[in-house]
Amino acid sequence: MTGMLPPGFRIQRETNTEEFFINMGPQHPSTHGALRLALRMDGETIVELVPHFGYIHRGMEKQAESMSYLQYIALSDRQDYLTAIQNNLGVVIALEKGMNIGVPEKAEYIRVMLQELGRIASHLVFFACFGGDLGGQTCLLYGFKEREMIHDILEEVTGSRLTTNFFRPGGSRYDVPDTFIPRVKAFLDHMDDTMKDYERFLSKNIIVLERSKGIGILSKEDAIAYGCSGPVLRASGVNFDVRRANPYSIYDSFDFEVPVTYNGDCYDRYTVRIAEIHESMKILRQCIDRFPTEGPWRAKEKPVRLPVGRYYSEIETAKGLYATYVVAATTGEKPYRIHTRGPSFPHIAALNKMVQGHKISDLVTILATLDPVIPEIDR
Amino acid sequence: MGIINYAPKILDPIPGGKYVVNAIDYVVNWARANSIWPLTYGTSCCAIEMMSSSMARYDIARFGSEVFRSSPRQADLFILAGTITRRMAPAIQMLWEQIPGPKYAIAMGACTISGGPFIYDNYSVVRGAQNLIPVDVFVPGCPPRPEALFHGLLTLREKILKETCRNPWQVGEPKDVSTMDRYREAAKTWAALEEMKDEEMAEARAKFKEENPDYKSSFKPIRIKKEDFPEVERVPFKRMGLTQSDIYAKLKEKFPAVTVHTHSEDPVEDVVAAMPADRPLEVMVTPEDYLPMVEFIKNDASLKMDYLIDIVGIDYDDHFDVVSQFRSMEHGHKLFLCLQLKKDFSIPEEQRATALLAHAPSISHLYPAAEFKEREVYDMFGIDFVGHPDQRRIFLDDDFVGYPLRKDFTHPEMIRRPV
Repeated sequence: MTGMLPPGFRIQRETNTEEFFINMGPQHPSTHGALRLALRMDGETIVELVPHFGYIHRGMEKQAESMSYLQYIALSDRQDYLTAIQNNLGVVIALEKGMNIGVPEKAEYIRVMLQELGRIASHLVFFACFGGDLGGQTCLLYGFKEREMIHDILEEVTGSRLTTNFFRPGGSRYDVPDTFIPRVKAFLDHMDDTMKDYERFLSKNIIVLERSKGIGILSKEDAIAYGCSGPVLRASGVNFDVRRANPYSIYDSFDFEVPVTYNGDCYDRYTVRIAEIHESMKILRQCIDRFPTEGPWRAKEKPVRLPVGRYYSEIETAKGLYATYVVAATTGEKPYRIHTRGPSFPHIAALNKMVQGHKISDLVTILATLDPVIPEIDR
Repeated sequence: MGIINYAPKILDPIPGGKYVVNAIDYVVNWARANSIWPLTYGTSCCAIEMMSSSMARYDIARFGSEVFRSSPRQADLFILAGTITRRMAPAIQMLWEQIPGPKYAIAMGACTISGGPFIYDNYSVVRGAQNLIPVDVFVPGCPPRPEALFHGLLTLREKILKETCRNPWQVGEPKDVSTMDRYREAAKTWAALEEMKDEEMAEARAKFKEENPDYKSSFKPIRIKKEDFPEVERVPFKRMGLTQSDIYAKLKEKFPAVTVHTHSEDPVEDVVAAMPADRPLEVMVTPEDYLPMVEFIKNDASLKMDYLIDIVGIDYDDHFDVVSQFRSMEHGHKLFLCLQLKKDFSIPEEQRATALLAHAPSISHLYPAAEFKEREVYDMFGIDFVGHPDQRRIFLDDDFVGYPLRKDFTHPEMIRRPV
């Protein structure tokens, strides 16, 4: 195409066919929220993609400057609402570094168990949406069925289904109820059987294989260069998991594997997530065996006042690397600035690289396997 | 309802015709109230609860709303699930206009009712969906449970059943985005009412004291004893890769101008050595050293910072800090480069709010990840990245005035949080 291109498009090429532009979103069922993608098409083939963000930019970082640290924990729920309980921990670890307080053993176990439950819940939504985006409505129903069991546990422990706002510097808001461990045990036993069903649905389904193998390949170098993390990075052959690379909480005391695959296509991103559900269940089983029934469930309560300095924490959520950067310019209850690094933002940045040369129907598959959550990009 | 609305005109003059009209009403409303098809629309957290409500456990099909339509032209109901931003507002009004009448809207969640958690100090959130489109039912919650959404649906059902041929559905007026100041007016009225109430209460209290001079309250507050928790020593997480001192020594050797920002009197080397294991080293870089240093840490074999975590901007009175955060995938250590940029105060004061106050070299040719991150810093702080291939606003509209994360940013729609 010669002449002026719309903003963002860069590739210059000579063609005999006439190119055209398609606008996908901001309201589109398969963009997983308010994301807008501008597509430059050559027939059915995508030449270039430009993402447009900001349709759910809520100015959280500006707001955080007039909030106290504890109030920001509630805001972090609303960034990546699928892994709200994990975001809470990311913020809380940064605050703990600033306050220089530790966490008792039981609180650590509560944290790890809720983290892994949150991870399974998020991956189940991925499973549901991946199946749903490929046209299999059954997967939607199944994925959300088991997720409700996790929501029941979360509701019993934290009082809320989705936006948990649970962890606090030094531990958590409440102790876990007596029914917590039996419930998790029952859930795991149920999940063992159900996972077989799940894998039977998609893993060897010929439609899924045809539509996801060799589609949207992200090479190892590109994945690192674009700052991808989590299952997307591990599917490209990089063995990077913050739980292993920079262990936080008590993750270094558990026996689990980091699933890695090497093709970097859509099917690999799917298998990595399915394998991660299994690993999370493994960690949960170890937690149940070692869960301390005695002992304090939180450290001594202190006012959340951070001394002057900059504090950084990073955790592995279901989507990838979630980092919090807190700047305290004056000792007090309010941050000077809080910045959050969400895992989905770099994934969408790398999307242009993945979709080039693929058909427009493949874009839906690729986007589904990136599993983005848009409010966490826009914040 | 179109042609049926003419039924009363034709049938009422005929003796007994109004019974026929009532029968038509009954049948039509029965059909409409039991098949409300919602539009597949969701922006944030509420959308997940909306999805949950349509899945196996909650099963929205019991109320005839399981058919989520992706096209607004096939939908009857607009469930506004999730926060509405100013940038999304035109899209919502367009979707609303594309839905054929009779159509209904449910505002789901605190954000679409009033702005919810994003009401104060916010420049981008529309405070309430009723500013944009006529809303029939409000469902409170953050996010509301599926049961609450069902209650909203049933309330809407009742509303539909009340509509008749004689009193049909009316098109509500779409509102203008710019008329959102009524919240400030409402807040003023509210404060006045509160004051009035306080005065009345004080009067009543004085009167009561006059009438019963020997009255003594029998109320005694019960104190719940707080559980005692021990103080726990913090154990830093394990260190991976090089120590902070090693990295600092390496940088100091190559770039003598490198320092670490400290508040103590001790020499920098001691401060770096005393850092806890899980605290990343953050060094101060001059703008001239920045680009060579990024190149150096990327290519040096023992540092090998090949992964860009993030770029963060911080606004101070007279300078910006741009913190680029790197990590090494192979070794596991992290390094933060803090680039200090003096604000350009030669720009006249009245233009400063909208002007680019500082310039920094772009590193997007070294790290493709930096391209979007730098656009974010540009959008939020107004820092110009020299050499950036595509410097546009990323989260805000192109015609947005000002840079929101600067400390002196003002916006006409912003309401200060009451202290």
